[in-house]
Amino acid sequence: MPGFFDPRTPLLPKPHRRGLQLAVAAQVAFLLLVAVAGYAVGHFGRTIALRTMPVDPRDLLYGDYVVLNFTISQLDVKQWRGAQPPRVHQPVYVELRPTPDGSYAAVAIYPENPPHIPASHAVLRGWVQSNWRTALRIRYGLERYYVPEGTGARLERRTGSRPLLVRVNIAPWGQSRITEVAER
Amino acid sequence: MSQKFLETEGPGWVEQGIISAEQLQQLRALYPEQPRAIGLLPLLGSLLVGLSALSLIAANWQALPEWLRLAVLIGALVAAYAASEYFLRHGQRSLGTGLAGLGLILFGAGIVLTSQMYQLVGYDVTGLLAWVVAGVLLTYLYRSRFLLLLAVAIGALAQGYSYAELSTYSYATLVLTAAGLGYYWWRRPDSLCGAVLACGLLWQAGLLIGYLHIKITWFFVPAMLVYAAGDWQPNRPAARALQAPPLVAGFLFMLGLAMFGEAGSYTDMLRPHLAAYLGALLLVFGLSVAGKRARGHFSSATDWLLLLPGFYFPGGLPLAIAALVVLYAYSGAVLWRGNYEQSADRINLGTALFVLTTMVAYFKLTWEFLDKSLFFLLGGVLLLGLSWYLRRRAVRTLPPSDQR
Repeated sequence: MPGFFDPRTPLLPKPHRRGLQLAVAAQVAFLLLVAVAGYAVGHFGRTIALRTMPVDPRDLLYGDYVVLNFTISQLDVKQWRGAQPPRVHQPVYVELRPTPDGSYAAVAIYPENPPHIPASHAVLRGWVQSNWRTALRIRYGLERYYVPEGTGARLERRTGSRPLLVRVNIAPWGQSRITEVAER
Repeated sequence: MSQKFLETEGPGWVEQGIISAEQLQQLRALYPEQPRAIGLLPLLGSLLVGLSALSLIAANWQALPEWLRLAVLIGALVAAYAASEYFLRHGQRSLGTGLAGLGLILFGAGIVLTSQMYQLVGYDVTGLLAWVVAGVLLTYLYRSRFLLLLAVAIGALAQGYSYAELSTYSYATLVLTAAGLGYYWWRRPDSLCGAVLACGLLWQAGLLIGYLHIKITWFFVPAMLVYAAGDWQPNRPAARALQAPPLVAGFLFMLGLAMFGEAGSYTDMLRPHLAAYLGALLLVFGLSVAGKRARGHFSSATDWLLLLPGFYFPGGLPLAIAALVVLYAYSGAVLWRGNYEQSADRINLGTALFVLTTMVAYFKLTWEFLDKSLFFLLGGVLLLGLSWYLRRRAVRTLPPSDQR
C-alpha cells in the first residue's frame, strides 16, 4: 500500500500530545472502572440463587463459556404488570421470591422498577428477547458463564441433563453478575 | 509522483527538451525516496513479538491472580502507547501509528478479558462502545488513515456483537461511525478509507434493518444517504470510492431479484409502505441531485436508475422483468456515460454489467421454453455478438491514444 503511512504528514503538534495523554489515561481508567464495578457488584451485591433448566449437554458448552438457560428465562405472560403489552427489546424488571429449596422464582414482570416489594424479594433487570402469545422470553445478561479452561468440559460431563444452581450477585444499583455455578 | 517514475521517465524528458537536466534534479529533490518497505518491517516485527507475548500470557491466563491479570493488561496498553509516542518523536511515523493501533486493540482485549474475569460480559454494550469511542478519538489525535480503518472495523465488530449476541442495536456506535469517522473522512478525503467507511456503514445499516424487523428494501434509504454524502464531497476520486459500495449493493440486489424474483415466496419482505418509502427515497434523491449540481457532475444522476422500485410489481415474471429493466437502464446509462465522457474504465464497466444483465435475462426468459442445446448455442452466440459489438463501439469511441 504505497503512501499508506504518509511520512510527509507533519508530526503531531503539542496540544495533540496532551490529548493523547488524556486518551490513554481515560482508557486505563475505563479498564479499572470495569474491574472495580465487577468487584463492587460481588462485594456489595445481594446473593440469590437461580436454577437452570435441564439442558442438552451437547448444547451446553461453547468454547470457553457455558450457556445457561434459567427457569426464569421464559415466563408466563400473565405475570406481566404493565399497562401496555410488552414489546421486544423492552427493558423489564422481574420480581423474584425465595422458594423453599433455596432458589428464586419469578413473581411478576414490571416495565418500571417496582418501588414496593417485600424485603425477602429481589428484582433482576432484563430485556424482552421474544414475545409469544402466552410466554415471554427474557434475557438477563447472565446467560453466559466463562469457565476456566478445561473445567467447562468437566461441568458438562458431570451435569448431564440435570439443572444447575447459579449464584448471582445483584448490586443495589441494579447491575448483576454470576459468582458461582454449582451442580445440584 | 514516485522517485522510480522520475528515474525511468526523467532522462527521456531531458532528451526531448521538455525539461532541463537541472529541473530534473530539482524534481528529484522535491520527491525524496521514501523507505516504505523498510517502514513496514518493524511494524510486522512488533506485531509478531506482541502476538508471542499474548499467546504466552493467554496460555497461563487462568493461573494468574486477578490483580496481576489486570496489571498485565494495563501495562501492555500503556507500553504500546508509550512506544508509539517514542517512535513518533523520532520521526518513524508508520511504526508509531502501528503501535498506537496495537494499543487500541489491546484496549479492546482488555475490556473483553476484564469483563470475562468478573462475568460482566453480555450485560450491555458499554464496554464495546468505549472501544469505538477510543477508536474515533485516536483517529483524530493521530490523524491516521490506518487508525480510521481500524476504527471502522471496531465499529462493525461492536455492532455485529450487539446485534447477534445481545439482540440490541447500538445507535451510538452508528452515530460515532457516521458522524465521527465520516467527518474525518470528509475533511481528509481518501479513496481506500471512503470505500471501507461506506462498507462499514452499509453493514451497520443492514443490521439496523434486521433489528427493526422492517422490509429489507428500507436498506437503500441509508445506503443512498451514504451515496448522497459522496455527491457533496469535492474530492471526486474519494467520493467515487465512497459511492461504489452502495451502488454495488443496489446492483447485486436487483440482480438477485431478476434471478430469483419469480419465486414470489419472499416478495412480501420487499414492499414497504409505498408513500413512506418513496418519500424517504425522494428526499435522499433530492439531496444527492443537489450535491451533483453544486459540484458539477450532474450526469452521474443516472446512478439513481438502480433505485427504481421495480419490486412493487407483483411477484413472478413481472417482478423479474421489472428488475431486468432496471438493470438494463443502469448498465446502459453507465455505457452511455462512458461514451459521453470518453472514459475507458467506465465503458469497460458498462460492458461487463450489460453482458451480465443480458446473461441473466437470457437465462431467465428462455430456460423454460428452449431445448437445452439450442439454449446454450443461442446464448453463446448472443454473448459473443454482444461483446464484439460493444468492444467495437468502445474502440471507435475512445481516442487512439487510449488503445494501448
